[in-house]
Amino acid sequence: MNSIGVRRSVAAYASLLALTIGPSMHAADCAANTLGPQAANRRLEELGKSAQVEMAQRRFADAIRHLKEAACLAPNDARIFYSLGSAQAASGDFLSARKSLAMADRLQPANPLPLVMLARVNASMSDVDSLKATLSEAAVRFATNSDLHATLAQFLLQNKLFDLALAEALRSHKAGGATAQSVMDLAVLENTVGAYDDAIRNAVSIENQTDLPATLRASAAGIAGLSYESSGQPESAISHLRQAVQLDPSQENSYLALAFLLEKTQQYGEAADVLEQARAKLPRSTQLLLPLGSDLILAEKYAAGIDVLQELVHKTPNEYEAYLKLADAFRKTGANDREIQILIDLENQKPDYPNIHLLLARALLNLEPVDYAKTLDELALAEQGSPLDAEISYLRGRIYMATNHSDEAVIALRRAIELGPMDPGPYYQLGRLYEKLGQTQMAKDTFARMQYLKSNTIQ
Amino acid sequence: MTRRDVLRAGAGVILNPLARASAPQNLSYPLREIQGSLTPPDLFFVRDHFSEPALSLENWQLRIEGRVAHPRDVSFSDLLELPTKKVEAVLECSGNGTHGSAASNSRWEGVPISFLLEPAGMSRDAAFIAFEGGDTGRLVQGPSDLPYTQIVPLEKCLDSASLVAFKMNDLFLPRRNGFPARALFPGWYAMDSVKWLRRIVVLGPNDRHSSFFDNGMDRVYNRVTLSADGIKVKRLSSIQVKSAVAWPPDKMRLPAGAYQMWGFAWTGTGTIREVAISLDDGRTWEPAKLESSPGPYRWVRWTYKWAASTGDYSLMSRATDSQGNQQPLQRDKARKDVYELNWCAPLSCSVR
Repeated sequence: MNSIGVRRSVAAYASLLALTIGPSMHAADCAANTLGPQAANRRLEELGKSAQVEMAQRRFADAIRHLKEAACLAPNDARIFYSLGSAQAASGDFLSARKSLAMADRLQPANPLPLVMLARVNASMSDVDSLKATLSEAAVRFATNSDLHATLAQFLLQNKLFDLALAEALRSHKAGGATAQSVMDLAVLENTVGAYDDAIRNAVSIENQTDLPATLRASAAGIAGLSYESSGQPESAISHLRQAVQLDPSQENSYLALAFLLEKTQQYGEAADVLEQARAKLPRSTQLLLPLGSDLILAEKYAAGIDVLQELVHKTPNEYEAYLKLADAFRKTGANDREIQILIDLENQKPDYPNIHLLLARALLNLEPVDYAKTLDELALAEQGSPLDAEISYLRGRIYMATNHSDEAVIALRRAIELGPMDPGPYYQLGRLYEKLGQTQMAKDTFARMQYLKSNTIQ
Repeated sequence: MTRRDVLRAGAGVILNPLARASAPQNLSYPLREIQGSLTPPDLFFVRDHFSEPALSLENWQLRIEGRVAHPRDVSFSDLLELPTKKVEAVLECSGNGTHGSAASNSRWEGVPISFLLEPAGMSRDAAFIAFEGGDTGRLVQGPSDLPYTQIVPLEKCLDSASLVAFKMNDLFLPRRNGFPARALFPGWYAMDSVKWLRRIVVLGPNDRHSSFFDNGMDRVYNRVTLSADGIKVKRLSSIQVKSAVAWPPDKMRLPAGAYQMWGFAWTGTGTIREVAISLDDGRTWEPAKLESSPGPYRWVRWTYKWAASTGDYSLMSRATDSQGNQQPLQRDKARKDVYELNWCAPLSCSVR
């Protein structure tokens, strides 16, 4: 871009603000004023009162009409334009609201409220460029107003505009005078964007303030824990999350996060204990059931895990992951018929569940005696959904091997290798098959390829 | 809703799998692990000169000074509240090997550098810009550590695609990729896209920027050519047209069958026009299929259906860009440096 181009782009950006500035009430919009000064003041007072009542009654059109008349009588009164802009925003007329609020801002530039409302209007319009321009303007003119930037941060956070919320939270923090809640908001945002050291510092400062409400301190401890985890310090993470649970035993997320970290460090029994503790405190929670059931199974407490997951499936039939965990538990406990049944239940619940036919085929292969025809049917259905899935050909190859259809088995296993050439499994089965067929050299070559893949020499 | 979703919803949390690093890192990952066309952050290559700095968002500032009328500090909040631009672009280490995976492709978001420079009021004699990172160290013997610095011609800096980037693939930069903000020069080798950016200095045509020259940075990243006229030295800039085979890997042994070779192709000049595949060490070539429409700066995924019969193969891919630049079949013998390694080096593959 040449220098002219640069100037143009900056000018275009600046014009986003200028767009909204300009006389909101043209002379043509106003009837000729025939009132004397006293009568005009009385009329203004009447109009103000009416508009107030109309706004409270959500009669926005009437309020706007009266405020427009007021603006004609007092064209330099910022409060009237602010009220008019607010009424227009409430009625959904954002373009007019933007003009009125810009006028209010121009008339009373030391007051930040018009800019705050303008930011809200721009956010409602999803006009991010204008919103950024408004926030930048507020940053220049009210750099040291910590409360203003904290208010903006809160509003932006509520509207899930996380980047801009972070910008305003940082401005508020820099301006000083931050409240515990605003520091907490900043820590949450810093954790979200990956500024873990900052998040830990801010969160721990809240966690350690014993005069603050336990709920807030618990949230802070939770954020500290998550930031420690993200920065590769699991022991500190677990310690802070335990503290979070202790400070406020009613916060479900603290238990979930703590159990998640314990699970990551393969402390499945402890993870399950934490979630049992949570369940005792929060008996109505269904969010706890899936991780609890899962951790119980990982801790090899199969019966308890199956009970929990069955309760979950009963309460929340669309919690599809629970079906898979149950299938896993049934398989591990040798209850292959129940494994198949729960997968059929899943299919009934959600016929297009990804890979459901492949899952069923796998399960069918574990049932003695194997129903090969049915398994092949499931694989055919699976192939319709995922024609390039190497595992389908691989399982088919194994079935043909087991049923002594060697030619078909060779074709299927070679197809599995074509589709997934880096997976040693099909090479192994194909090598076995060649061995069985007496094709010693082919078997040797195929096993060599498998060993090659397993040898980690491929970079 | 998964448990991870619950955690995110509860605290707006991203559980970052990237561990904290303290020493300079040199990481790359097999291209075959990339699904689609964008390199995910945990597979993005890393080449550090010095240790990652510990930067705080709360006091991070980008200083803009030098030949400007109004030196200024830009905070992270300022960056977030300025208009941004998104660019999908490859970054490639200038020393990336012929089969090397020190190249990655991401969708970047940031503020155009021109946008940050304009309010500072550059002087008329501005010719170059120095970019300094927050990482410090010594490339050569010297009295003290100096910040990692690169100098980029003004024209490239004013290109609308040149950014101070703070996001990749819609997430904030991971620390090891330059958090909180880095320079980004699409189409140029990655050493100029300075990570952990802290300072931008506008330079005149003859200004000597100490952290660049005193640290010996002028002695690396140069194209050195020996000819009858003597040695020519030229600063590296645009990425040379290149392609890489993601699959099969070198020395692969396969049974005969129908396979799909695939990989990526990219260039710093124009767009990729075509990719050709040779199975016989460059004697014959067949076209590969480009999986998406090529665009400037970004790489394009290519595929080639290979009916592999028994034999020993020497596989090569060769890209040509819209400006007619084509990968050479071998390294220019006059080159005396270790950069721009874009010739078509073969991969061996045995099919039985």
